[in-house]
Amino acid sequence: MTRLVYIVNQFFAGLGGEEKAGLPVGVLEGSAGAARAFERALGEAAEIACTIYVGDNYFHEHKEAAIKAILAAVGAAEPQVLVAGPAFNSGRYGLSCVEICNAVANHLEIPCLTAMHEENPGVDAYRELANARVFCLPTAETTIGMADALGRMAQFAIRLARRESIGSALNEGYLGRGIRRLEKTHRRGAERAIDMLLKKLHNQPFDSELPMEVWDDAVPAPPLAQVKDRNIALVTTSGVVPWGNPDRFKTYRNTYWRKYNIAELKELEPGKWEAVHGGYNVAYMNQNPHYGVPLDALRTLEAEGAIGPGRLYPAYYVIPGNQGSPAVMRRLGQEIAADLKKDNVEGVLFVAT
Amino acid sequence: MSKEIEKAGLPVALISAMFPVAQQVRANRIVKGVSIPHPCGDPSLSKEHDARLRREIVRTALKALEAEVKGPTLFSPPLATGG
Repeated sequence: MTRLVYIVNQFFAGLGGEEKAGLPVGVLEGSAGAARAFERALGEAAEIACTIYVGDNYFHEHKEAAIKAILAAVGAAEPQVLVAGPAFNSGRYGLSCVEICNAVANHLEIPCLTAMHEENPGVDAYRELANARVFCLPTAETTIGMADALGRMAQFAIRLARRESIGSALNEGYLGRGIRRLEKTHRRGAERAIDMLLKKLHNQPFDSELPMEVWDDAVPAPPLAQVKDRNIALVTTSGVVPWGNPDRFKTYRNTYWRKYNIAELKELEPGKWEAVHGGYNVAYMNQNPHYGVPLDALRTLEAEGAIGPGRLYPAYYVIPGNQGSPAVMRRLGQEIAADLKKDNVEGVLFVAT
Repeated sequence: MSKEIEKAGLPVALISAMFPVAQQVRANRIVKGVSIPHPCGDPSLSKEHDARLRREIVRTALKALEAEVKGPTLFSPPLATGG
């Protein structure tokens, strides 16, 4: 018989609400709380070995200890699959479900399943981690969707436990993680592409084999009156950094930004700066770093009065943008925006390669 | 990244040679850069012309920050060849 382990927070374990959010990791034999209803949805095909709970606050305040305890408890129960949630639109719970699934999938090498509303911040973490062993099903925003979520989760969990091969997010109904998978097909790419094109021309629905990210509109920030009297900063994804790459940026998939002081500089001297980036030929940028960080032009415009004295921020912000995942880039953008606002910057020049 | 900065209320002038992509991802103030490996300038020009082109690109970006826009808007620097 298929064995599962179920993870819940204090609330769905039936132990209490916010006042119990500090509860450390605990193990209940068999099914408890939300896991009971899940076990009914599983029917005869599977059983729940144990239900592990952890308080929403405890997990985030003692993450290392919590994950260690959970890994030990799951390991001891030897399940074929781990199930966490559903977290609906509860942010702390959604994040902990995803992080627990990721840790268990990596350390115990078993498939893990969770479920939550698409706007739960846990979904961003799920996409950022893009763990091929972790699946997240969409749910309603609130517990109104409980019965529906548990039914779909039970069916999915049984398939994972049986090591069935799971197809694309589109066909299988889980939330896409942006993992590209190879599939065998008897029809060559040109035929499939022409098929899609014909459907598009006839306004018929079709599914892309490589769905593009859907981009939301950012409402334009209001313009600056008199830019010469405003504080301006430069941000770039070109990867231009001091020679020697002191912060050890990689040529792709970076997850942090840095800023480098230019307060005393009139220009960037070739040989003192280099471009770290795996997505374009960096030879030009190495010869003349101004192609990515146009400090010479900024200083001239300062002298002309187009930028007011002392208005150029004394450092520039950089990350090599190559292969950055949209979720990471969004976070970096938010972090940089917070840093800029802290120092009263009012407008940004952004050089993208 | 630039959109998150805009969402925080700071106008961003995005200098990029991949301006169709910038439009597609819905950046708002987009300044036409020269080429992907050298958005701010053109190494095939003389040193002096290259520096002048770079200055015009940055000047256009500063003007873009002063412009009222409703959605993705492309600003072309006067000297840019676009090549």
